[in-house]
Amino acid sequence: MNQRETIELVARRELAEGLRSRAWRAALAIQMLVVAGIAIVSIVTSGGSGIHTRHLATAGPRAAAIAAKARTEAKGYGIKLEVEDATSAAVAREKVKNEDADAALGPRGLTVGKDPDAALVALIQNAARTVRGEARLRAAGLSPAAARAALEPPPLPTVEISTGEGEGGTGLAYIGALLLYVALISFGYAIASSVVTEKSSRVVEVILSAIRPVQLLAGKLVGVGILGLIQIAAVAAIGLLIAVPGGSISLPSSTFETVVLVLVYFVLGYVFYGGLFAAAASLVSRQEDTQSTTGPILIVLIASYIATNAALGDPNGGLATIGTFLPPMAPMVVPGRAAQGALPAGELIVSLLLMLAAIVVVVVVAARIYDRSVLRFGTPMKLREAIGFAIRRG
Amino acid sequence: MGETVLRLEELRKSYGETVALDGVSFDVGAGQMFGFVGPNGAGKTTLMRIVLGVLAADSGRVLWRGAPIDAEARRRIGYMPEERGLYPKMRVRDQLLYMARLHGASEADAGAAADRWMERLGIAARADDAVEALSLGNQQRVQLGVALVHEPDLLVLDEPFSGLDPDGVDALSGALLTEISERRVPVVFSSHQLELVERLCDSVAIIAGGRIAASGSLAEVGGGRPLGEVFREATRGSGAGATEEHRA
Repeated sequence: MNQRETIELVARRELAEGLRSRAWRAALAIQMLVVAGIAIVSIVTSGGSGIHTRHLATAGPRAAAIAAKARTEAKGYGIKLEVEDATSAAVAREKVKNEDADAALGPRGLTVGKDPDAALVALIQNAARTVRGEARLRAAGLSPAAARAALEPPPLPTVEISTGEGEGGTGLAYIGALLLYVALISFGYAIASSVVTEKSSRVVEVILSAIRPVQLLAGKLVGVGILGLIQIAAVAAIGLLIAVPGGSISLPSSTFETVVLVLVYFVLGYVFYGGLFAAAASLVSRQEDTQSTTGPILIVLIASYIATNAALGDPNGGLATIGTFLPPMAPMVVPGRAAQGALPAGELIVSLLLMLAAIVVVVVVAARIYDRSVLRFGTPMKLREAIGFAIRRG
Repeated sequence: MGETVLRLEELRKSYGETVALDGVSFDVGAGQMFGFVGPNGAGKTTLMRIVLGVLAADSGRVLWRGAPIDAEARRRIGYMPEERGLYPKMRVRDQLLYMARLHGASEADAGAAADRWMERLGIAARADDAVEALSLGNQQRVQLGVALVHEPDLLVLDEPFSGLDPDGVDALSGALLTEISERRVPVVFSSHQLELVERLCDSVAIIAGGRIAASGSLAEVGGGRPLGEVFREATRGSGAGATEEHRA
């Protein structure tokens, strides 16, 4: 049996036993419920904000001019305006009656249906005021350019604190970071518990009479990692399925890249933290002692998450840039910055390279610690002793 | 005894200041039931772990069929550690199948072997139960099944009979004797139960304080005297339990 088959065998056992375990199913159900709950609450509280499409039927050249003006300003009202030229004012009004259009604009004014969209009415009124005012000023002798300048002074300078693509991207960024944080913690501990279960039940001694420690560690990381991907995909799917049609997240154009980066960085972050958790867990012989050696890793993970949240508030800032290059933070920071459209390609490439380098170091050190300590039973090994193990060869 | 298949040469192992094995040598022949007795802390577990390769000796050699034992040969050993090792939540059949696969059996062969051994060890009815739901006696049977399921060329069993009722002892020893008579598989096991060793074994080694005090066929070692008497004599000087049991 070759190396790959051995690792695959171990991974398949981890996967099968994980899928079968009540603890895993319960954790998945709870996470899906929590995410679904958050999505529903945000729909209710946001009242379904985002861009809405509105149809306007026009009749006559004046109406067409106003509609054209309104279209240029529609985005500011949260509206995507579709304009349709009707043959007459009567036909235009008929369209509103049949609910084929939200409003009709003709020579005699605006017709709207029952419960009109206030933003739509305001948009058209404003456009009409501008167009008609411009016409009057030109009639009074002003040049077209002077008339426009008089009616459209430059807008007030506005500074957006959070740059990028606005609400949708920001929401997605924080959700992505939270999802990765929860996944890294739960699967870090899944790895740790799997390592300690084998030690505390002493089954590791039987296993290692057949295969090498590195094969067992690798298979375990792969198997639990696939479980993690299934979980993160299921949780993300339910969140998006509820939130997107409900309008609580309007997906920015960066969504696809963000999802890809979440998956890529989950795998990278998972191997990074999973390797550390496995090495730490191999130092103890009983579940109760797990905290004592995994604690420092947990602190790094929590601190990284807190720093990530601070960094995502200013995705072009210094903290965000540093986080992109720091392997403990990068898995949570990078997808968040990408969601906000604030990740230069060069930084992404450097981040990936640093992450891969860190993973190589972690995996080598973790495998060495695991190799030396997984068959030592008794009191938890001292951290210094373990590091000594990792450094010494032979 | 038949031709020598397993030979231990001058094995030494220390844990810091504590000497666990101090030059241990003996031979095991094909189809032999080899009993290994000694007080707690005499070095029995350390010795077995070295044979299995889960622990490295400081010096000395383990020879399998005349050549230093390697990973491939070790994969052909069936092992039962002193502190039993099974996945608590895994089902009995899955567990046997997995262990057979780890030792290189194909999916189909592993399934057939798992079914055969569950039948032989009287645990077929519990195939789909989690190991932790079984009585200790039945867990012990599963443990022996794990050691046997890949049709090993050698069995190394650390205290296989401890904690078993007489029925359990009969079931386990019956399975071992069958393996020996059918496949000439040598069995090396450690035990505290001297009368059991006397009943089952062709050859014995008495280990005390990390050294072999006596070894050979029952007749050679005892010269007609009960094993218990020889054992007490051999271990008196070393002081039973002189060294702490060490885990590594």
